[in-house]
Amino acid sequence: MESKFTEVYQKGPDDSYDTDCSKVSEMLDLIIDGEATSEEEKYFNTHLEECVSCFESHQKQKLLKGIISGHLKRVIVPESLALSIRAKIQETL
Amino acid sequence: MSEQTGKQLSKEEKDARFEAELLPVLDPLYNFAYRLTLDEDDANDLVQETYLKAYRFFDYFEQGTNAKAWLFRILKNSFINEFRKKSKQPAKVDYSEVEGYYNSEDVEGEGGVASTTDMRTESVQDLIGDEVASALNALPVDFRTVIILCDLEGFTYEEMAKILDIPIGTVRSRLHRARNSLKEKLEKYAKSMGYNS
Ligand SMILES: [Zn+2]
Repeated sequence: MESKFTEVYQKGPDDSYDTDCSKVSEMLDLIIDGEATSEEEKYFNTHLEECVSCFESHQKQKLLKGIISGHLKRVIVPESLALSIRAKIQETL
Repeated sequence: MSEQTGKQLSKEEKDARFEAELLPVLDPLYNFAYRLTLDEDDANDLVQETYLKAYRFFDYFEQGTNAKAWLFRILKNSFINEFRKKSKQPAKVDYSEVEGYYNSEDVEGEGGVASTTDMRTESVQDLIGDEVASALNALPVDFRTVIILCDLEGFTYEEMAKILDIPIGTVRSRLHRARNSLKEKLEKYAKSMGYNS
């Protein structure tokens, strides 16, 4: 079953599949950042259906973005900051 | 650019709009400043300076446009023009300080998370958070910046291009390289923790 897939993308790095894969890998950021056009998205998704390695790269890239947005803690703004901004503005007018 | 440019705001109008449109960005702005400088006091100074400039140049700000992007742009310019020069050394990277800052209530002083045997989800979450922070802080500031703007603050490529004064193509390539570099650092960490990437 899976050998059918692996066969397809293990044919060798210099075959025609390669251009698709590199095109897709260049689109990765556009896709995960929601910046791809609908045509690019369609092309991307079609390719992922038949290419395990691009599918995996996509998973990884999504995971990375999710880790940053989900796990990086926000620092807490000192309470005095807004006050001192207002004060500075009034005094430097 | 419009005929409105000549229209001067009264002080009351200006103050009211400053409160309503600019001050609500304080939280993301402070976080951005902190991620750039990696220092609380420096972040404070940078944010204050940014708001003073914003107030002074308020007439250039078109109502209804993106206040957040405008402020981020001012802050980033201040950081580059004055701040980076002032503090001659590259941005400080002191992880212990950063960690202490995060968990100010439960710093135990000693060795920290590694010695903890309790792997409740919460501490695992903290651990990941700290590791992500360290990996991010270790990136060059230009790389750090695009990651923060994109993944943390959700700016579009176009907004990022305006904030950073670079073409969208440069935003994309910088983001790409930044992510590769971050991935490398985090994969090393994942392996050291016994995960397979
Ligand atoms: Zn592929």
